[in-house]
Amino acid sequence: MDERGLAEITGGWDYHTLPKNVQVGEGCYLERKNSMQRYRSVRQPGLKLGNRVKAFTWTEFNIEPSGSLEIGDDTILAGAIFMCAESIKVGKRVVVSYNVTIADCDFHPLDSESRKQDAIANAPQGDRGRRPPLVSRPVVIEDGVWIGIGAIILKGVHIGSGAQVSAGAVVTADVPAGMMVAGNPARIIDEPRNGS
Amino acid sequence: MNRSRTLAHDWFSRPLPSNVVLGERSWLYSSFAFLHYRSVRPWGVRIGHDTGLYHGTFFNLGPDGEVDIGNYCAIVGAIISSNSRVVIKDYTFVAHEVVIADHFASTPPINIKALNEVPVSTVPTKSIVIEENAWIGARSVLLAGAHIGEGAIIGAATVVDFEVPPYSIVAGNPPRSVGKNTPQNQVRDLLKRS
Repeated sequence: MDERGLAEITGGWDYHTLPKNVQVGEGCYLERKNSMQRYRSVRQPGLKLGNRVKAFTWTEFNIEPSGSLEIGDDTILAGAIFMCAESIKVGKRVVVSYNVTIADCDFHPLDSESRKQDAIANAPQGDRGRRPPLVSRPVVIEDGVWIGIGAIILKGVHIGSGAQVSAGAVVTADVPAGMMVAGNPARIIDEPRNGS
Repeated sequence: MNRSRTLAHDWFSRPLPSNVVLGERSWLYSSFAFLHYRSVRPWGVRIGHDTGLYHGTFFNLGPDGEVDIGNYCAIVGAIISSNSRVVIKDYTFVAHEVVIADHFASTPPINIKALNEVPVSTVPTKSIVIEENAWIGARSVLLAGAHIGEGAIIGAATVVDFEVPPYSIVAGNPPRSVGKNTPQNQVRDLLKRS
């Protein structure tokens, strides 16, 4: 492995080589260049990272042409898989653990007939322009939220400041500030069950 | 015991940490597994013989982290994130995308000078222990307090932070006991007695 190859997986690569519509704050650490492999946003900005954001090797910024993602200062992304078609906003000092998916869209239609059209348009030789329109709803994660290992945050969800999402939770509805949720579907729990 | 500090097949240009030992006929996919490793214990990771550690396995250990893996285990891409002790005994199978961590929001302890302000977000905790011949299903999460009994099965995507009795089957989220996996020889003995 050459020096450049090593730099591209250990954070030492040149962040100025990112697309023009990506804003990177002071002191950010983007460990793996390939975290941006499926970044296709044409919005302005398509991705905005605050100051001192850390994104480790397990993180992926999968952003559709129509998507825009904002991450606040001092947020740690251990393994956040973002699937963004419209808008995802993550606040300051948020911790996102391993194998976490955050999606503002289901990326395929619910209706079975439309889904068949979607499958045809998505075929390797298909015409992507014929995909049915995607339904998306913005996701907001406020300051100081902790998202545990393997959690999944689905479209339209608003997580209030300081809330905690337990490991493995599938969050389909809003989480009030300061609360802890767990399970599938995620429910508010009285006592933190997993660690903490 | 493999005492060389590089793996013959490795694509990642870093040697294995000096406090890692890989047993006879065991396989590790790459020293990339130690990307976020900073254990300074006498033995940070000890792997027995005939064990396979395949693509996607990571040892994200803090300075006090210690992982002990037995013989004939297969670990098919688990993230082990700890600043304490993790024990995986013989014949255990750990499936894809499993995370074994001290804390529900564990983040990697990192060894980069500029990033020293990033905390190891794990509080000192109890060991995580997987007894012999257990099977941990894909996407499961084992947290502080998890003790998986001998021969137990953890269903896919189950979150465990408690003691699972030997030969039991636990699945779901929230998790529940869904059955027993009593060994065939024990079943035969019981039938003989009745």
